[in-house]
Amino acid sequence: MSSSQPKKRVSAAKPAPKQLTKPAPKAMPAPKASAKKGVAPSPPTKVTHTPKSKKRTVQEAQEESDDEFGNEDMEDSGDSDDGEAEEFPEEDGQDMSSADLDSVDEEAESDESYMDGDSLVDSQEELEDEDEEEEESDDEDFFKEDEIDPNFGRNLDEPLPEESDYKPIRREYPEIDPVYDSDSSTEENENTVGDVPMHWYDDYPHIGYDVDGKKIMRPATGDELDKFLSTVDDPDSWLSAHNYKDGKDVKLSSEELEIIRRLEGGRIPDADYNPYEDSVDFFTSQTEVMPLSAAPEPKRRFIPSKHEAKRIMKIVRAIREGRIVPRKSGYVPPKPKYYNLWNDAEDKPREEHVMHITAPKMKLPTHDESYNPPAEYLPTEEEIKEWNDLDKEDRPKNYLPQKFGSLRNVPGYNQFVQERFERCLDLYLAPRVRKNRLNIDPDSLIPKLPSPRDLQPFPTRLAIEYLGHQGRVRSISIDPTGLWLASGGDDKTVRVWEVATGRCMATYHLDELVTSVAWSPNKDVAVLAVTCGYKVGLILPEKLFSPELAIHSEDFVRAGFANVGTTEANAKATWKQPTESEYAQGIRVWVHLLKPVKQVTWHRKGDYFATVAPDANNSAVLIHQLTKHQTQQPFKKTKGAVQRVAFHPSKPMFFVATQRYVRQYNLQRQELVKTMLTGVKWISSLDIHPAGDNLIIGSYDKRLCWFDLDLSSKPYKTLRFHSEAIRSVAYHKRYPLFASCADDGNVQVFHGMVYNDLLQNPLIVPVKILKNAHERVDSIGALCVEWHPTQPWLVSSGADHSIKLFS
Amino acid sequence: MGKLQKKGKAGAAVNYVTRNQALKKLQVTLADFRRLCILKGIYPREPKNKKKANKGSTAPATFYYAKDIQYLLHEPILGKFREYKTFAKKMAKVMSKGQYSTAKTLSENKPIYTLDHLIKERYPTFTDAIRDLDDALCMVFLFATMPKTDKIKTEAVENCQRLAAEFQHYIMRTRSLRKTFLSIKGIYYQAEVKGQTVTWLVPYQFSQDVPTDVDFRVMLTFLEFYQTLMGFVNYRLYTDVNLVYPPKLDIKLDEGGAGMNALIIESTQSSANISKSINNNTSNGQAASLSKEEKQRLQESEKRIRALSNKISQIKETGADESMDSKDENSENQDDALDEFPMPLPNADGSASETVTFSDIQRASQHLTQFQSLFGNNYVYLSREVPRYSLEFLVRTLGGRVGWDSVLGEGSPFGENDDRITHQICDRPVQGHLFLSRYYVQPQWVYDCINAGKLLVTEPYGVGKTLPPHLSPFVEAKEGDYVPEGAQFEGETQDLEIESGDEDEEVEDDDEDEDEDEDEDEDEDEDVEHKDLHQIELEAEAKGVAFTEFETKGGKKKRAATETTSTAVAGKKRTAEEAEAAEAKELAKIMMSNKQQKLYRKMQYGIDRKAAETQKLTERKKQLDRAAKTATAKTKKAKK
Repeated sequence: MSSSQPKKRVSAAKPAPKQLTKPAPKAMPAPKASAKKGVAPSPPTKVTHTPKSKKRTVQEAQEESDDEFGNEDMEDSGDSDDGEAEEFPEEDGQDMSSADLDSVDEEAESDESYMDGDSLVDSQEELEDEDEEEEESDDEDFFKEDEIDPNFGRNLDEPLPEESDYKPIRREYPEIDPVYDSDSSTEENENTVGDVPMHWYDDYPHIGYDVDGKKIMRPATGDELDKFLSTVDDPDSWLSAHNYKDGKDVKLSSEELEIIRRLEGGRIPDADYNPYEDSVDFFTSQTEVMPLSAAPEPKRRFIPSKHEAKRIMKIVRAIREGRIVPRKSGYVPPKPKYYNLWNDAEDKPREEHVMHITAPKMKLPTHDESYNPPAEYLPTEEEIKEWNDLDKEDRPKNYLPQKFGSLRNVPGYNQFVQERFERCLDLYLAPRVRKNRLNIDPDSLIPKLPSPRDLQPFPTRLAIEYLGHQGRVRSISIDPTGLWLASGGDDKTVRVWEVATGRCMATYHLDELVTSVAWSPNKDVAVLAVTCGYKVGLILPEKLFSPELAIHSEDFVRAGFANVGTTEANAKATWKQPTESEYAQGIRVWVHLLKPVKQVTWHRKGDYFATVAPDANNSAVLIHQLTKHQTQQPFKKTKGAVQRVAFHPSKPMFFVATQRYVRQYNLQRQELVKTMLTGVKWISSLDIHPAGDNLIIGSYDKRLCWFDLDLSSKPYKTLRFHSEAIRSVAYHKRYPLFASCADDGNVQVFHGMVYNDLLQNPLIVPVKILKNAHERVDSIGALCVEWHPTQPWLVSSGADHSIKLFS
Repeated sequence: MGKLQKKGKAGAAVNYVTRNQALKKLQVTLADFRRLCILKGIYPREPKNKKKANKGSTAPATFYYAKDIQYLLHEPILGKFREYKTFAKKMAKVMSKGQYSTAKTLSENKPIYTLDHLIKERYPTFTDAIRDLDDALCMVFLFATMPKTDKIKTEAVENCQRLAAEFQHYIMRTRSLRKTFLSIKGIYYQAEVKGQTVTWLVPYQFSQDVPTDVDFRVMLTFLEFYQTLMGFVNYRLYTDVNLVYPPKLDIKLDEGGAGMNALIIESTQSSANISKSINNNTSNGQAASLSKEEKQRLQESEKRIRALSNKISQIKETGADESMDSKDENSENQDDALDEFPMPLPNADGSASETVTFSDIQRASQHLTQFQSLFGNNYVYLSREVPRYSLEFLVRTLGGRVGWDSVLGEGSPFGENDDRITHQICDRPVQGHLFLSRYYVQPQWVYDCINAGKLLVTEPYGVGKTLPPHLSPFVEAKEGDYVPEGAQFEGETQDLEIESGDEDEEVEDDDEDEDEDEDEDEDEDEDVEHKDLHQIELEAEAKGVAFTEFETKGGKKKRAATETTSTAVAGKKRTAEEAEAAEAKELAKIMMSNKQQKLYRKMQYGIDRKAAETQKLTERKKQLDRAAKTATAKTKKAKK
């Protein structure tokens, strides 16, 4: 540790006093305040930091003071920082010089001397743990040295003598000989790492770099013993501080010590600075004998203002003219005066205007608002709960009826103000609309129809029930004579019943579900067409008819087999002989198709019949000729899935119903005549009026449409009265009746009069609802309706395995 | 071809403006706009097509009629609002500077606006004003009972009290009250003023709790307008019946809790002299107030004493005179009626009952005069537990004399021991001392009497009795509505003779009419029998008469014959017929168009709901009756 070092420091810090003056006022308040209050200033904690330069320490002190009056967090961090700083030498204590350790100890001791229990004490104790043996001697040393330098460790609360009567100290700096090399700063092996934490270099052999970028090696440090010895040996060791940057102990000069002491005392580090300079009054309150300006007073200061005179005159004139009447002293704002606002002779009532809507009056109270209403108006507990659960806006009435025994028990209504307020809001905030109320009897909307009694006969009650089927009865048909009823269903049987008695006359067991049965309309040929799976069978119930008719029918049906050889086989349908057992049963012909058949229907003459197999794309519709055993495919292409087909009752026309449309074809000219737009989603059934000009369809979406073929391609009437899908519709051949049946189990009978006069629209009158004609089984009700050919009788079949005749 | 119409140039697009557009156009804040709307009576509209009114946007918006907003632009009050705003700014500035003398002069020149022109504008005729008086009355009566808070000023409350009392006085004077109703919300009154029915609701007199969720700025703006309206209406009403407006307020009585009696009502003729003296007095009083407070007090008390003595004498005289007059009139009227009526009665009933005849009018007017002096000969005394503010008004309105307990306020004309008292109204479970000369009734009796239009027997309303239900007089029962028991006020009256006679006669008349009809039918039937039945059928068919109609016509006589023989079968037959009719209706419904069906269903929904409500009430009533029966049976058994 050379003696030149502190000198250099001082010289380096030479401009410090000037600089110090600036930050000093900032740092001032804290010490001042503390001094005033007479509270011991908090101890300086950064003493062990190397005072590399005065400036730095001052800055630190500044930070300290900043911390002191304000940010406690900062203070804490400062403390912990100090702890670190304190501990630092302890960690590599072995290398530390004894002097350094000593100085640290002493500083700590000095801290203790004027401070009771700060965070530093802990670190102090830690240190003590390490060198317990030397403790006493240290203390002794400390006191000795205290004696040596009476200036140090003095109670700093006492004002310094210099401060009390201020005398600027003229500092004497050592003379500098201004020769070459006089400035030794360049020579020095200065560490250039800058202001970085030096512990970064803890693991390295060097402690930084010099100006040339060469490593400055860590100077050798002795162990604790060496340190101790050096403190003992060197009387100035307590005056030295460790410079981590250089890794050396530096002896502090007396000036530097003075600065530290001042900082500790919370005073301005620079002793030269006088914060209490005498103030100099630049502008005094006393009037000067000689004025600053020699200008004479302007004239306007001596004459009355013209502007003011003008304004005053204005007011005076107004008062004179009576425009301004001065008020008396006890002025009270005028009360509203009432007078006769309306003059009956002149007043005209406001003209009625569409846009003027008067506010509706408040609703008058009903019986249940009474304080003592009849007992039946009082709500039950459930009603009260329901009312309470409802939102305020949803409540039908804003009060609950209550009963009070007498008037004295009636409390004040707590919603009174709110309700008045709501009324106010309604008056100015609610949009007003004129609403026309339809004041008519709802019954007047019901159309006046002729009474059903005038439209008799029509079936009204159940007459006969045909029982025997074991499954759903899908299809029924009555032969043209009106004697026999054929039915087929899911039990794979076809049964023939006597209409009048309900006896089952014949049963045919087939191998598939029977989807459709149809008697030939030709009275001379007693043939029943039956669809069953992929094939169509022609059955001849011999027993039921006269032998002549049976023979004739037999010949008629089987004549075609002779024709088989001559005509080429059709791939779509093959005509086959029944087996022996089948023949014995009564089956005469099989027609095998490629896809399951859903419907069979006859041409009016009984020679042709058409079949529908919806799955067979373009061969869905086939027309078969019975006499020749031939099959034709009328359409090369079909649009949509075919649901139903029907022959026109008199003309060579053919109707094909797909899901949504009904198409009418002319078979002779082989052309499309008309497409009917039904407006329904899925057609289920179709029937043509016996006159041929009207047709009805039923749909799975509950609708029944009546088409007038001459009128339009759109329905003349669409009716929706069934609550489930309509399964079947049928016209009566003779009477103006038609019927529909649906999955709701109801059968509905209508009077449907078609007039010869083209100008008169058909008359449709519902005449009878046969409610629950069939029970619903698996949500399927009535499946098929059929009219008796001559009588006003209706036959229906359903999913409940029954067939019923209504008359 | 006409000129092409551009979009957005006519119709809803120009007829309506949204609220924001209106605000922009008027350059006012929302609060000012709200006040303007309330004062001017401008309300939002609901355009038929919102999209057309809002430039194609369907965003929710409040629409105003464009012309309303246009008129607002020229509203003088709008200018006053602006003046007030500048005044408020000036005031704030001055106050912040602490220039209090300037502030004082400023506040003296505070802009004041009046609403007179608005009232004239909104109600061009007096009848219009009366027609819209309901809300105003309700509001004024409510605020008359409101406590004074920082929002509700004392002056406003006092003014409301005064206006309410004035109006009640007018009603009493003209005896124009018609109906009244004790509800759980308050007391409803209905009066007929200038041919218009005016209904108002008065809260029960408890301290109103001021709710926090109510915007008093809105209510006070309404109140401001309604106060002015009531002031002008009261003025007009008073001058129409030759009374001085504003009536003087008797301070002593007012302080003594006299309520509406504190107002001194004077007629213009008699008050011509008095008004002079009062003017003198008031000028003196003013002088006194200017000079010294003590002097003023002295003079005022003197004045009060003088006024009181005058008044008492007046009341005595006028009251007695009035009552005498009214009695005389009534008796005369009754006499006249007795003389006149027996003659025109049969004519009126027999020939033209629909057309209003002179006798009808006469009868109605007679009925009215009778009603107006319902309590004419009665002295009613109010015990301390009954609401005097309502009962005094009601009884006095219908000609009765009212006295009350001193707890209810000062100025009772007679005490409890007065012999003239005919009815004492009390509302306590047990009455200690009973005067035999008077009826003791509960307050509901008065209200029921008024609604019934006659004095009811007092027995069911006795002290501590379970009262009969109190029904609303405002309900007019329509067909299918539930009518509770006693809704027709079939309660026994003290004078039964006349009305019962009328009813009997009417019933007889109806019977006769029916007989005549039947006779006519029989005649026709006889004629019919002469002809051949088949031929008649044919004729009917040619005429286009449906068979069923024909049958029903023809069947009438058959049925008539059968009805006479077997009445038991008739019931069954009718049900069958009903079933048939129901089925026919159901069938006919099938042929309704979609639109009609929807409409029908909607209407039917309302009807069904009403029917369900009626059904519920009737069932509950039955249940209650049954329960009551069993209860009485049990008590009887227990007694045995």
